[in-house]
Amino acid sequence: MADSLAYFLMSWTDLSLLTLTAVGTFAGIYIGAIPGLSVTMAVSILISFTFAWDVNDALALMVGVFCGGVYGGSRTAILLNIPGAPSAVATSFDGYPLAQQGEAGQAIGLSTVMSVIGGLLGVLVLASTAPVLSEFALQFAPRDYFLIAVLGLLLVGSLAAESLSRGIFAASLGAVIGLVGMDPVTAEGRFTMGSMQLLGGIHYVVVMIGLFGVAEAFFQLHQLNVKPVRQNVEKIIPSLNLVLKFLPLSIRTSIIGVIVGALPGTGGDIASLFAYDHAKRSVKNPSKPFGKGAYEGLVAPESANNAAVGGAFVPMLTLGMPGDAVTAVMIGALVIHGLNPGPMLMVTTPHIFWFVVGALVLANIFLLIFGLMGIKLFAKVVELPKAILIPLILVLCVVGSYSLNNSMTEVYWMLGFGIAGYFLKIFGFQMGPIILGVILGPLMDNSYRQAMASVGDSLPAFLTELITNPLSIVLTIAIVLLLLSNFPLKRMIRGSKNAS
Amino acid sequence: MSKHTKLQPGERVFNILLLLFSLGVLYEAYRISGPGFESISSPGAFPVGLGLILIASMIVIIAGQFRKPKPDTKGALDEARQFLQLHFPLPIVVFSAMAIGYLLLLEPLGFVIATLLFLFVSMVYLRHGRFVSSAIIAAVAIAIIYALFKLLFQVYLP
Repeated sequence: MADSLAYFLMSWTDLSLLTLTAVGTFAGIYIGAIPGLSVTMAVSILISFTFAWDVNDALALMVGVFCGGVYGGSRTAILLNIPGAPSAVATSFDGYPLAQQGEAGQAIGLSTVMSVIGGLLGVLVLASTAPVLSEFALQFAPRDYFLIAVLGLLLVGSLAAESLSRGIFAASLGAVIGLVGMDPVTAEGRFTMGSMQLLGGIHYVVVMIGLFGVAEAFFQLHQLNVKPVRQNVEKIIPSLNLVLKFLPLSIRTSIIGVIVGALPGTGGDIASLFAYDHAKRSVKNPSKPFGKGAYEGLVAPESANNAAVGGAFVPMLTLGMPGDAVTAVMIGALVIHGLNPGPMLMVTTPHIFWFVVGALVLANIFLLIFGLMGIKLFAKVVELPKAILIPLILVLCVVGSYSLNNSMTEVYWMLGFGIAGYFLKIFGFQMGPIILGVILGPLMDNSYRQAMASVGDSLPAFLTELITNPLSIVLTIAIVLLLLSNFPLKRMIRGSKNAS
Repeated sequence: MSKHTKLQPGERVFNILLLLFSLGVLYEAYRISGPGFESISSPGAFPVGLGLILIASMIVIIAGQFRKPKPDTKGALDEARQFLQLHFPLPIVVFSAMAIGYLLLLEPLGFVIATLLFLFVSMVYLRHGRFVSSAIIAAVAIAIIYALFKLLFQVYLP
């Protein structure tokens, strides 16, 4: 116990570790905020020049970048309607309307405090229930992963689009884009149309930059002469009353975030959408209607996506299974440092576990400090005239997509997706479901095939499992309910009554 | 985006194009591992499912068109004209052309010069003149981007 506490406090008492965590968190906020620079990319680059470092130094920096980055994505989601990361997609639903009403400061302040509350709750759960939760996740079959992904896509489809059919179309389109390239099992080309270049697939970051960066920039050209809303960033620190008012919602959505984050493969992106949906369904009288600047719509995803960070570390540190893309990269980092992430990590090197927990708490404290400072400067970005901002966004998009592979091919793809996204946006198709489809498509394909193979390619056996396995039953019922709740049953019944 | 109560100019054409695209996806999916597939866990199975979902949702969307009033246009030509007017005003067309030009010049001119040129020209166009301030902003922006990405993040620039 005393040993654990000593390891927990290590990053707090060692000046260089303290500094590295602080620098990581600060850099993470800006990396997460700059569209095209992802936390995954940053952590991957960090590995390349920290593998000679001491493992604690490297972990402190990466934990900071991770925490800061998940939060940072929300800033551009609020200020520019460009989520800096997939986990900030839900934040833009209400964050951007708030900025349009001149309340960017309050929105950022509230999202900072809620992120920290969510983040700390996530770490608390990581520290206390890691073994229990990971055992629960161990029971998940590929079939259940498939169902979770379907549920996630249906959720985002019903949330973001004008109608469920548009949402489903967008999500499936994304999944098709995600599947382009070589099949990981048989090495056959899929949707490559015979092109060698497409065999390597389309990087999801390119799609994201195109749809969220370029399409948005083109859309903003319509409002060239609209005077930018003067953002009220004087009042950044939210009042205690406001925080207390939303605390119950924040705690509820943090719990959602931790659980979703702990499921392998699902991270802050799905957690925040689940949380947004929860808020939309459970809050009867929001401060403003959802989608038009409801504080509740900001509190829920921001608490959840930071709570998911703690959750994502649970399977990584106890099972050696990544909770999301960033922890997948971090597993690589641990291996480079000669550690063995997995069930034995807790037994042979418990200090790593407690060190990470301590660094995560510290990073959240720095997040509160940096998050509430320096917003004035950051908010100036939105006060920049569109005529200056739009060319700059395009340049950042070019740099971001080029740096993925150091090739112009990605840049042209990015522009192509930008133009396609512009057309889709015109006719009411939303970008959120597409990008989630891109990320979840390969995961669904993989878990679907594993599930099918495990029952000997027998559809009846697969369907039987759906209604006999307790976990699958819950997930199947959730999917059916979600579909039914969007189906115009009431209208149909009313229509038939009127007709008779 | 707000709910459109009325069909937009060009919406019907766009939906038909998306339906054709969906049919193309189904065809491409069906061709994976030879026409058809041996088992329901073969590489083409999930893609075929996606193709079917795309087509089904597009049919629902197209069926929904009949419930909405048509756009106030006189004939196909007028609808096309209104569509272009609404969604492709001059600034968007000119800026798109500049963006494509920028991408084409990136490799021959190098990142710094091409970006400087693009930022300057596009800002002068979008801000209707203001040569001096546009030049200063472009120069400062490129300096910051270069320092941030090249020196701090060590990202390769075109």
